[in-house]
Amino acid sequence: MKERGSFFVVPGIVWVLLFTIFPLVYSFRVSLSRVAYGRITGFAGLANYARMFQDYRFWGVLGFTLIFVIFSVAITVSLGLLLALVFNRKMRGLRFFRALMTTPLFTAPVALGYLGVMMFYEENGPINILLQTLGFSKVPWLSDIFWARTAVIMVDVWQWTPFAFIILLAGLQSLPDEVYEAAVLDTSSGWDIFRYITFPMISPVLGTVIMLRLVDAFKVFDIPFALTNGGPGTATRTLTFYVYTQGLRNFDLGYASAMAYFLMFMSLAVGIFFFRRYRSLYE
Amino acid sequence: MKRSSILLVVALAVVLVLTWSFLALAQEETSELELQTAEAAFQAADKGNPDPAWQGQKFTIGVYSAGPRGAISGPLYFWRPFFEKLTGATYDIVEIPFGELREKIFTDLMTGTGYYDVIIGPSWFYGDYVSNGWIVPIDKYFDDPRMPKWDRDSILLPIRELLQWKGTWYGFNNDHDGQVLYYRRDILTDPKWQELFKQEKGYDLPVPPRTWEEVYDVCDFFNGKDWNGDGEKDYGITMHLKVGGQGFFHFMALSAPYVVSPAPGDDPTKVTRYHNVYWFDPETMEPLVDTPGFVEALKMLLKLSKTGPSAMWGWSLGEAWDAFLRGKAVLTFSWGDVGSLSQLPESSNIKGKLGVAPIPGSEKYYDLETQQWVNQRNFVANTVGASWHGVISKFSKKQDLAAYFLSWQATPEINHWNVVWGWTGIDPGTLYDLLKPTGYADIEDYVQTGYDAEDARQFVTAYEEMWYKYPLRQAYLRIPGTPEYWEVWDIHLSEAVVGQVSPEEALRRTKEDWNAITDRLGRENQKKIYQEAIGYVPEK
Repeated sequence: MKERGSFFVVPGIVWVLLFTIFPLVYSFRVSLSRVAYGRITGFAGLANYARMFQDYRFWGVLGFTLIFVIFSVAITVSLGLLLALVFNRKMRGLRFFRALMTTPLFTAPVALGYLGVMMFYEENGPINILLQTLGFSKVPWLSDIFWARTAVIMVDVWQWTPFAFIILLAGLQSLPDEVYEAAVLDTSSGWDIFRYITFPMISPVLGTVIMLRLVDAFKVFDIPFALTNGGPGTATRTLTFYVYTQGLRNFDLGYASAMAYFLMFMSLAVGIFFFRRYRSLYE
Repeated sequence: MKRSSILLVVALAVVLVLTWSFLALAQEETSELELQTAEAAFQAADKGNPDPAWQGQKFTIGVYSAGPRGAISGPLYFWRPFFEKLTGATYDIVEIPFGELREKIFTDLMTGTGYYDVIIGPSWFYGDYVSNGWIVPIDKYFDDPRMPKWDRDSILLPIRELLQWKGTWYGFNNDHDGQVLYYRRDILTDPKWQELFKQEKGYDLPVPPRTWEEVYDVCDFFNGKDWNGDGEKDYGITMHLKVGGQGFFHFMALSAPYVVSPAPGDDPTKVTRYHNVYWFDPETMEPLVDTPGFVEALKMLLKLSKTGPSAMWGWSLGEAWDAFLRGKAVLTFSWGDVGSLSQLPESSNIKGKLGVAPIPGSEKYYDLETQQWVNQRNFVANTVGASWHGVISKFSKKQDLAAYFLSWQATPEINHWNVVWGWTGIDPGTLYDLLKPTGYADIEDYVQTGYDAEDARQFVTAYEEMWYKYPLRQAYLRIPGTPEYWEVWDIHLSEAVVGQVSPEEALRRTKEDWNAITDRLGRENQKKIYQEAIGYVPEK
C-alpha cells in the first residue's frame, strides 16, 4: 500500500526535476559559459559574474528595480490595508464594491501597461486633461525620468492594491468580535484599537502579503516594457527587463543567466531577512 | 429550455453578429477601385509557369505585425486570394510585433526549426543572416522558367545593394526605405510667415530648408506660434524619440552629412579608411560614434528636439507622425509612410499642403583624415530604416514555392500597385515608381489612388533627388549583432535627449558598448564582414 502511494509522487518528482531543477542547473552552467547565437562555445568561469560589477547599466537597472520594489510594495500594502479597514464593516453594496475593486487584478500586466500609454499620454491623455481641468499644468508622464518612474509605479500599484485589499480584508474579517467588544470598554480611540489590537492580530497576514508582493515586484517586466519600454533613457529599465534584453534579444545568454542568478539570490536574501525579522517581532 | 441553454444561444448569436460586423467592416475597407486596379496589375504582371506540384501546398511567412490593412503585413493578406488562384497553393501569415522580431526570427533560425519559410524582415538582419548561412541565395531563380520575372535593374542602386551581399542576391524587391524631409508647403510659402521669418532670422525663409541649420531656424521660428489658426500654440518639429521607438533612425539620417566625407580625387564616393565611412574605422573596427561629427549632430538633434512638444521624447512612430498629419507640427523627417498617410482622409488633414524634400545636408562636415572641420555644405543620401523585404530560410522545405511568391510580389506591376496604395506601407524606390522622364510612372498613377497631384510630385521627386542626385551615400550597417549595436545606441541617445547624460557621455558610452559587442562577437571576424559590407578594400 505504501509502495503504491509512493508511485503517485513520481509525477510530482518528474515535474520538479524537469521544470525546476534542470533549468536551474542548466542556466547555472550557461552562466559559467561563453554563448554565441544560443550555443555554448566555451567555459567562461566567473567572467559573466565579474562583468556585472563593471557594467554601469547593470547598476542602473538594479537601482531602479530597488526603487520600484520599495515604493510599489509600500504603497500597495498601505493602500490595500486602508481600503480593507474602510470596507471591514457592514454596509450596503459591499459585495459589489469588493468585486469592482478587484477588477484590475484580473487584467494582464502587459495590457495595463498599454492602457497606461493611453492614460498617461501627455498631449491629450485623460489624466493630463483631468489635471488641466483642475488647474494644474500638464505632467510629462512618459518623457521625464521622475514622472516616468512614477507612472510605472502607479500602474503597478493600481494593479496590485486589490490583491493586498482582498487578503487583508479576509484577515480582518476573521478577527474575533469579542476582542473588539472588550477593547471598546477600555478605550474609545480607534487609533489605539488599530495600533494595539488590529495591527498585531493581522500581522501574519500582512507579512504574507508583503512577502508575496516583494517576490512579484522583483520580477516586474510587463508594465515598464509596455508603458515606457524602459525609457526615457534607461530610467525605467528593471533587472528582469535587462535580463530579457541581453538573453533573448541579444542572445548573450551567459551574461543574462548570471544576472538572473543574481536576481534570484537577491530575492531569496531579501525574503529570508524579511521573514526572520518578522518572525522575531511577532512570534 | 433551460436558462443556461438560452444564455448559450444568446451568447452564440452575439458572437456571430460581432464576427459578421467585423468581417463586413474589413470588407468595406477594400474599395472597388482597389480591386479593379489590383486585378489589372494581376493580369499585367508576369506569372511565370507555376509548378502544378505546388497545388495544395502551404508555406509560412513571418512578417512585421501591423494587421490585415497595415503596413508591410497588409499586402500579404490582400494578395493571398490572387496567389491561391494562380498556384493552387497558399500561405500562412505569422505577424510578429516589431520589438519581438529578432528573438522570434533568430531563435527559429538558430535552432534550425524552419517554422518560417519566408521572412519579410528588415535589412539590418543581413549580417547575422549571411554570416550564419541562414538564408539562401536567389540568383538560381532568375533564369528558372517557373518564376515570374522582376526587374532588378529598376531598383534604385542604394536599395538594390541592400538586397545583395558581395554581388549575390538574397532579397526580393519589396519596400524601399529612406528618410526625407516633410514640411507644410502652404505655411512655408505664405508671404505673411515669410516676412515675419525674415524679420526674426535675418534671411529669407528657405523653401525647402536644405541644411539642418536651416531646418532648426524654421522649426525654432514656428514653434510656439499658432500658425494653423486653431487658437492653440503649434510646434516646429515632431520626432519619435522614445526608447524602442526607432528614434535612432532620426539621428542616423541627421548625423550622416556631419560624419560622411567625400574622398579626395576623381571619385568622391570611393570608400577609404577615412572617407565615406560612418560606423567604424574599417582598419580597426574602432567605433567612430564619438568623433566630432557625431557630437555636433547630436547637439543639433537636441536643439531640434526643443522646437517640438516635449512629449515626443516618449513618442513612437505613430504619435510623431500623427502630430504632423494633424497639422500640429510644421515639419518632420521620416520615411515614405508619411507621404502616403498624408493623403488618407482618416489619418490626415494636410492633403494638398504637403511639401517634401530630400534629407537636409549640413553646413560643414568633419574630415576624419585631417581631423578638421570643412566649412562646406555636405549632402548624404540615406537608406535608414528597414526596407522590409522577403528572404528565404535555409531550413524551409518549400523554397521554390516561396521564391515564386516573392518573385511574383516583386514584379513591377504588383510592386508598383503596392507603392501607390499608401496603406500597404510599401514605399517608392524603383524606376517604375519615379515620374517620367527619370522613371516610368505618371502622376495619374498616384492621383488615381487619392493623391493630390502636387503632393505626389513632391513626394516621389524628393526620393528621386536623394537617391539619384545626392553626391554621397551613408553606408548601411550589415554586420552580425547589428540589432544589438543599434539597441544600445538607441538607449544612449535617449539618455542624452532627456538629459540623463551629456551628448559626449552618451556617445562615449555607445562607443564603449560597441567595442564590448565587437570583442564578444570577435573583432577580426566583425572587421572582415564590415569591410565586405561597405565595400572597403584594405590599403596595402
